[in-house]
Amino acid sequence: MPIIQAQNVHKYFSEVHALQGVSLMVEKGEVVVIIGPSGSGKSTLLRCINRLEEYDEGQIIVDGNSLDDVRNINIVRQEVGMVFQSFNLFAHLTVMDNLTLAQKVVRRRKKDEAQKIAINLLEKVGIPDKALAYPIQLSGGQQQRVAIARALAMNPKIMLFDEPTSALDPEMIKEVLDVMLALANEGITMIVVSHEMGFARAAANRMILMDAGQIVEENKPDDFFKSTNKRTKLFLSKVLHML
Amino acid sequence: MGERLKPEPGGSKLAYFPGARWIKRIDPWWGLVLIVACLIIILVTAQADPFSNILKFVSSGIAVTVLVTVTSFLFVLIIGMIGGLGRLSRNPFIRLPASLYVEIVRGIPLLVQLIWWYFAFPVVIQQIGEWLNINALINYRADPIFTAILGLAICYGAYMSEIYRAGIQSIPKGQMEASRSLGMTYFQSMRHIILPQAFRVILPPVGNEAIALLKDSSLVSVVAVADLTRRGREFMAVNFNPIEVWTLVALLYLVMTLFLSRLVAWIEKKSHFER
Repeated sequence: MPIIQAQNVHKYFSEVHALQGVSLMVEKGEVVVIIGPSGSGKSTLLRCINRLEEYDEGQIIVDGNSLDDVRNINIVRQEVGMVFQSFNLFAHLTVMDNLTLAQKVVRRRKKDEAQKIAINLLEKVGIPDKALAYPIQLSGGQQQRVAIARALAMNPKIMLFDEPTSALDPEMIKEVLDVMLALANEGITMIVVSHEMGFARAAANRMILMDAGQIVEENKPDDFFKSTNKRTKLFLSKVLHML
Repeated sequence: MGERLKPEPGGSKLAYFPGARWIKRIDPWWGLVLIVACLIIILVTAQADPFSNILKFVSSGIAVTVLVTVTSFLFVLIIGMIGGLGRLSRNPFIRLPASLYVEIVRGIPLLVQLIWWYFAFPVVIQQIGEWLNINALINYRADPIFTAILGLAICYGAYMSEIYRAGIQSIPKGQMEASRSLGMTYFQSMRHIILPQAFRVILPPVGNEAIALLKDSSLVSVVAVADLTRRGREFMAVNFNPIEVWTLVALLYLVMTLFLSRLVAWIEKKSHFER
């Protein structure tokens, strides 16, 4: 059974029909990369999956929990980690506290245990020496890696990445992508909204192009890059030209 | 974002001498508190008659003023938080009463509110008591200090609600989203993420309110509370020396507000963080 089942999801922002009947199945361990022009609904779709955004029609089931039921929201959110474009680290807390707070509050872990997990994760993302720094003291790339570690500390089954490298300087993009690549190889389920085609080629099991609130094309990376779909070809030519 | 350059110790000074850093850490405005305090001491010692007599007479009033201000301010902080969160609630049954409270209380002069709580409120309670036939309510009498604290807390709570609301709204939306995405509930997120950050943002206006509250507490003298102002008036009624009495009372208020203002500045500095 797919770990994420989205069926005919519609979302309206007052007048704007942001998602127009999107259906998406994601299997456990799959890495799905979503691309598309801005305003195409890719971020909205991602945010609907952990219900940061409420959808108006359709159904989303995450790991057997239907998001229609309000009581499931916090259960789902504990299973789904999210990484944001603007990092959103807690500005008043040190890196260590950023990583341990939710573990203690939500997972009810003891302080020692939470700190041990945090230190391991900081080592994994390559910044064990920054545990006592405040977010402002870190570079963008470091902040984003902390944000990834913070999400991983909750042992999520699914990770959502909402344009994780769009706010980064070019030379910091790689350090974040490397962490994401390592995660993908570990077999965690990932949905990534990103225009990093190098990452998509290396890690994606499936690629999706969204436009105007709909899924235009959904394919394996090899076939996707050789797509004959006019819209896909046009968009890819723009994105690849960028590099 | 990125790291900012920190100035060298004494870098902007013409000369650097040992101990300067320690001295620099002391806020020079404490000097003003000291000057006013010294002025009071000089007046009281050099001109014992009448200043020492006045000070002895109003000292109980100082205690009452401090008690009323501190107690009501604690309630103001709580009411403000509830009111501020209420005004931001998505539930109209919470949001509307909170907004109604703020709008109504903001629109009535504090003096009128205090008079209403002291003279009208007890009668309302008594009449409800008669209607329900409950003796405890029929015999209800207004306690001056309780009424003063109630009136001040409710009035200032409305202003404080607006300050809390602005402070909470000033925290980027992403903080709440990140917190919720980790599985924290709305209240956990408020408690651990939003309010600690908002509180640092609102500290200056909160300090302002504390000082304003201390000064406005002088209004409670009209509802039979023997605070600093009322004790001053009582002393004057007997000895009739307005210059001395009101100068000393003014200086006493001034030293308290200046002290409070330093206290706020100190807390602000201690809880400062960059983002």
